[in-house]
Amino acid sequence: MKKRARFLIGVAVVAVAVGYLMWTGARETMVYYLTPGELMAKVSTDPTFRDMGVKVGARVVPGSLVADTKNLHYRFEVMDIETGTTRFPVSYEGALPDTFTENGDVVVEGRIREDGVFVAMSVLTKCGSRYEAAPEEFAR
Amino acid sequence: MTVLGEYALWIALPISLWGAVLGFAGGATRRGEMVLSSERSVFVVFALLCVASAGIIASFLGDHFEYWYVANYSNRDLATFFKVSGLWAGQRGSLVFWALLLALFSSVTVLLNSRRNREFMPYVSGVFLTILAFFLVVVLFAANPFERLPFAPADGLGMNPQLQTYWMTIHPPTLYLGFTAFSVPFAFAVAALLSGRLDGHWLVTTRRWTLASWFFLANGIIFGMHWAYEELGWGGYWFWDPVENASLLPWLTATAYLHSVMIQENRGMLKMWNMSLVVLTFLLTIFATFLTRSGLIESVHSFVQNKEIGFIFLTFMGGVTAVCTGLIIWRRGSLQSENHIQSFLSREAAFLGNNLILLGAAFAVLWGTLFPLITEGVTGQQIAVGPPFFNQVNIPIGLVLLALTGIGPVIAWRKASRRNLQKNFTLPVVVGAGAVTGLLVAGGRDVYALLTFGISAFVLTIIVREFWKGTQARSRTSREGLPSAFVRLVTQNRRRWGGYIVHVGVVLVFAAFAGQSFDVEVQHSLAPGESATVRSPFGHTYTLTHQGLSSYDAQNMFKVVAALSLSRDGRDVGVLTSEKRYYTTAQQPTTEVGIRSSVFEDLYLILAVVEDIEGVARNDPAAQRATFRILINPLVAWIWYGGLVLTVGALIAIWPEARRARRAEAVPEEGAVREALQAAD
Repeated sequence: MKKRARFLIGVAVVAVAVGYLMWTGARETMVYYLTPGELMAKVSTDPTFRDMGVKVGARVVPGSLVADTKNLHYRFEVMDIETGTTRFPVSYEGALPDTFTENGDVVVEGRIREDGVFVAMSVLTKCGSRYEAAPEEFAR
Repeated sequence: MTVLGEYALWIALPISLWGAVLGFAGGATRRGEMVLSSERSVFVVFALLCVASAGIIASFLGDHFEYWYVANYSNRDLATFFKVSGLWAGQRGSLVFWALLLALFSSVTVLLNSRRNREFMPYVSGVFLTILAFFLVVVLFAANPFERLPFAPADGLGMNPQLQTYWMTIHPPTLYLGFTAFSVPFAFAVAALLSGRLDGHWLVTTRRWTLASWFFLANGIIFGMHWAYEELGWGGYWFWDPVENASLLPWLTATAYLHSVMIQENRGMLKMWNMSLVVLTFLLTIFATFLTRSGLIESVHSFVQNKEIGFIFLTFMGGVTAVCTGLIIWRRGSLQSENHIQSFLSREAAFLGNNLILLGAAFAVLWGTLFPLITEGVTGQQIAVGPPFFNQVNIPIGLVLLALTGIGPVIAWRKASRRNLQKNFTLPVVVGAGAVTGLLVAGGRDVYALLTFGISAFVLTIIVREFWKGTQARSRTSREGLPSAFVRLVTQNRRRWGGYIVHVGVVLVFAAFAGQSFDVEVQHSLAPGESATVRSPFGHTYTLTHQGLSSYDAQNMFKVVAALSLSRDGRDVGVLTSEKRYYTTAQQPTTEVGIRSSVFEDLYLILAVVEDIEGVARNDPAAQRATFRILINPLVAWIWYGGLVLTVGALIAIWPEARRARRAEAVPEEGAVREALQAAD
């Protein structure tokens, strides 16, 4: 029985170590994944939420892209993918991904400033199952 | 041909269902004619799947755009080579391909074992046919590659440009080989549970299959890294993307199983654990296929997901889990351990530690991958964890594992004496500490990188010394020259020495990972004639001078090419190019990066932004400015070298032994004694 207890202690030590790593890792790196509407609702009820880094899945508003390609500074508006409402401007410095298009879906990660501009640290384009064509794409 | 393929699928489903029933029934009632019929069903299903796959390929080659699958993944201009790869380019075809590979392995298994393992084979073919039936149901009812469109379009949508590369044609098949090969150990595990013959026999029978599966998974993952590095063009090779994680999970648990199985063979321990690991790994191969091909994770917010597929997969995985858990509980009496761990300082404990840690890593990766789904279920709010989470958790875990690759092979079984420890570990620890000190003096400050290099040096010292000691001893006793003694040594115990070579490969790959901590990145907007300078961590200075942009039409695409002349420490070393490709079939461009690879560092050039594409197309000299990202990625090449070493090691371990040796290996106790003696001396 003593042997078994020792074995269980070993298991417990590894489990606790991995659990600890996961706990701290998750606490330090997790970000809310929101829609523009959800973000606005959060910020209006709790202004300190502005300090949280968030990921926002949204659609780029057609015709809103202003590009300074020399300094790689971009500004565009995004909106809710489903409803098309709740727009806000996004500012981003750096090269946009190849797959970025107006009216395309993006995930922007960053913070929303006091003045309502979302300062993005990264812009990713969403392509669901990355290499699959969505069925309705064909219909277009 | 294509129509035949569709019929073949429909015929294969009832045959595999019937064959599965006959297999299980024949095993239980010991009726030879049922078993024979079940085994023949395996061959028939394989033949039918060959016809179905040929049908899909024929529909691609013949440009039959009336099929939804062809219309979505091909177009007339697509190169023939990629048309053939259409079989696994998308969800629908790749599920058929999965089934085809499984049927192939099933047939080979039945051919090789129907004489030798009579008591297992009815159940084994029953399990194979059950899995095949499941995939056929998915294909026929939720993802039919032969589904027709109401009209035949003049041309297809074309294949995603990022799939049109050499790496993408070999990466998925390799992974799939790994996934499907693991069905063989799984089938034998279930057969052992059902038949009640739970000694080490089924382990020995499936040893090579497990190794082969592991080998394909490892290579599949590395090919995937290669593809991401060359094709996705953001400078890295691993992003902890759900799809990547999915392929890593079964590899982690398969690695655990490869090690724990040795404890069962040698010491009769961990039987229930091994059984559970086999089932878990099999489930993870199915889960990986499901995750990769259903878009479950990325699709949560907005993308169409295939609900039927999700439902069928989850039902199957739930069913397998329930049945296997039930079987293991039923047979728990025969799965008792024959021995106990005597000391924490023993090979058993080191192997067990390796297992727990690998499982911990798998759990953490799974948790992080599913985190958005979990938090949405619990709080109604999606919370994601990104690459930092995975790195933070897995780097410490990886370092412990790395150390164990050195400790495990030389620490004694049962209980390591003080002398054993001193003798085996003094020199390696000194070398490892020396490496850390040297790097500190040279200016290395990243703790994880220092630890990685230190532990790598420790492990390499142990392995090299093992080879040296073994070779020397052999050459002394058999009076051979050192080279021939070395070859004989390795060929006499391929699994052991092959395993050590695999460990060397793993060390190289880890060192390459640590190289990331020295990454350099700069970004410059350059007009022709302007240059950018970047300094590498190895002290070289690279100067890149923009030579201008050119553009031309190529098959299927329009290209803009930037050429930069490159000098290293003031010496001209050639021209590096990076392209933007505008495929006629895709709305967005893709970037082709330029890579100048050397042993210690890669210079990685990304054409980030072309300011005025229309201007470039008109050959307007004023429209030549472009923005480049220039990266220096130290040690990346070592991943590919490490992968090669790992491949060599795994092949040595898998290669069939001479017939006489094979008979000897069927008696594991003898091996245990030999190894214990070797470790004790």
